[in-house]
Amino acid sequence: METFIIEDVTKSFQNGEVEAKILKGVNLTLTEGEITALVGPSGSGKSTILTIAAGLQKASGGQILFDGDDMTAMSQENIRKVRSSEFGFVFQSSHLVPFLTVEEQLDLMLDVAETKMDKKQQKEEISRILKLVGMDHRKDAYPPSLSGGEKQRVAIARAIIHKPKILFADEPTASLDTKRKKEVMELIHELTKSLGLTTLMVTHDDEMLPYADRVITMRDGVIV
Amino acid sequence: MKMAFKEMKKSKSKFLILGSIIFLVSFLTFIISGLANGLSMDNAALIKNMPSGHYYLNEDANAKYNLSKIDEGLQKDVLAEHPEATAFSIQMGFFNDAEDKQHSVAFVTSTESDLFQYVKDGEIVLDRTLEKEGVKVGDILTNNQFSGDFKVIGFVDEQKYSHAPVAFINQTNYQEMYRVMEMQTLFIPGKDVPAISGLDSFTNKGFLDTIPSYSAEQMSLNMIIWFLVIISGMLFAIFFYMMNVQKIGLYGILKAIGMKTISLFQMIWYQMIAITAVSLVISIALSQAFNLVAPEGMPFSLTMNTVLTLSAVFLVVGFIGATISGFQIKKIEPLQAIQQGEM
Ligand SMILES: Nc1ncnc2c1ncn2[C@@H]1O[C@H](COP(=O)(O)OP(=O)(O)OP(=O)(O)O)[C@@H](O)[C@H]1O
Ligand SMILES: [Mg+2]
Repeated sequence: METFIIEDVTKSFQNGEVEAKILKGVNLTLTEGEITALVGPSGSGKSTILTIAAGLQKASGGQILFDGDDMTAMSQENIRKVRSSEFGFVFQSSHLVPFLTVEEQLDLMLDVAETKMDKKQQKEEISRILKLVGMDHRKDAYPPSLSGGEKQRVAIARAIIHKPKILFADEPTASLDTKRKKEVMELIHELTKSLGLTTLMVTHDDEMLPYADRVITMRDGVIV
Repeated sequence: MKMAFKEMKKSKSKFLILGSIIFLVSFLTFIISGLANGLSMDNAALIKNMPSGHYYLNEDANAKYNLSKIDEGLQKDVLAEHPEATAFSIQMGFFNDAEDKQHSVAFVTSTESDLFQYVKDGEIVLDRTLEKEGVKVGDILTNNQFSGDFKVIGFVDEQKYSHAPVAFINQTNYQEMYRVMEMQTLFIPGKDVPAISGLDSFTNKGFLDTIPSYSAEQMSLNMIIWFLVIISGMLFAIFFYMMNVQKIGLYGILKAIGMKTISLFQMIWYQMIAITAVSLVISIALSQAFNLVAPEGMPFSLTMNTVLTLSAVFLVVGFIGATISGFQIKKIEPLQAIQQGEM
């Protein structure tokens, strides 16, 4: 099923007098239950297209169709709502809230997504997802006491706890060593399949590509 | 809300420091306000205890009550028309007690009315503070400007004027002592302000300002109080500003995952209210305790009403301070935050 379509998206940045055209018409369709990996040289615009697709910055032109709605035409508030309930995010750094326990991070995400669950259901769901990412035993730990790989697994748990449709991951394994990279990547793969996520992932690491269903290469702001 | 308290728990020392500063500032404010009120009572309880109404002084007196003289005919007319009104005079002076010790007092005399203690010829009623200085009912007091003497017939509470205890005497005795026939001031209780030709009218507050030193004293104390209140607001603004700067990355990521900006504001508000409430409760308790143990001679009077009003002001000012610092949160772009590294 094609739920997410990026159509002819362009992006320019004003650099003083000169206008830098970073995206020169990107077309990309994401498929449900698949990991689409975005690769390419540094500065080719991978993060830019990912953040535009995720509604974190505006496109200069083109359309982004999510479930048939054009996100480029939505109000900031509606984009926020889509982000909170339909999207999940994983970045190079885990960006966890330092003063909340692992369990509370997920609790917060459920509140932000305004999921219709009572407290008991929330607790059960959190426990289920933490088991899924193998972090159940650390549910009362605070982020500073977790290893890089553990933090990233919690970040993944936070990205999927509210049952989003789309998972955006920008170099989710870049800060990890080889062993942890594999673990995290396997986890993203598994979750995409079992939860039927539509995953868009930027990576620099060729070792991660076997986990992807599709590999798209970008160069100089276009897909090649 | 949970997040707000979790953060406070995790960064206890920061919030504890802010809390103790707010406590100190509010406590100081309460004490100074108690002092201001105490001094004000000490300076003008006689007038402050009056019902609301209007005071009239002779136009030529230029709003100085001790220069004012009300024409006797006019006074008679006004009192006839307003039976609840009274005419009175105040002069600072001394008397000698039975042991020939001098005491400074404010002599007050008035026409017969419920508004002032009325005493007969040769009698005197004193403020209770003189009882503590050893004067007793039945004592005979003398004054070098007065041919007769005064017999103490009683004491009254909280009757002070210009930081001196009030001594109520009869009009004829007053006339002899100060060699004036006219009264200084007319007072008409009630909301109406009948215009009387040749006389200026003053509200209770306006009349208090005609007392030398009263407004100067109150103004400087009130200024300190308001400075302290503003400082507390600025403390909140600066504190949350610094906290927010440290948390720009966090706020960005929370916005990225879809948290509403208003929720972030709420977080600051909860923290501000929690800190202020706890600090205020401690200040209130301590200032009320101070009220009880304040040294005998110290003019200190702090009512619960004043404390609660000031507390409300502290909360409002804290809210404004915290909100102003929160405006920077509004500007945070989620993207910038994500591109910054690990927090
Ligand atoms: N806000 C901005 N203002 C100006 N230029 C920008 C801005 N954001 C990105 N760029 C530029 O756009 C280009 C593409 O950036 P982008 O982050 O998308 O690259 P990338 O493919 O993700 O690279 P990397 O692999 O290093 O992460 C870069 O040249 C970058 O300097
Ligand atoms: Mg990038």
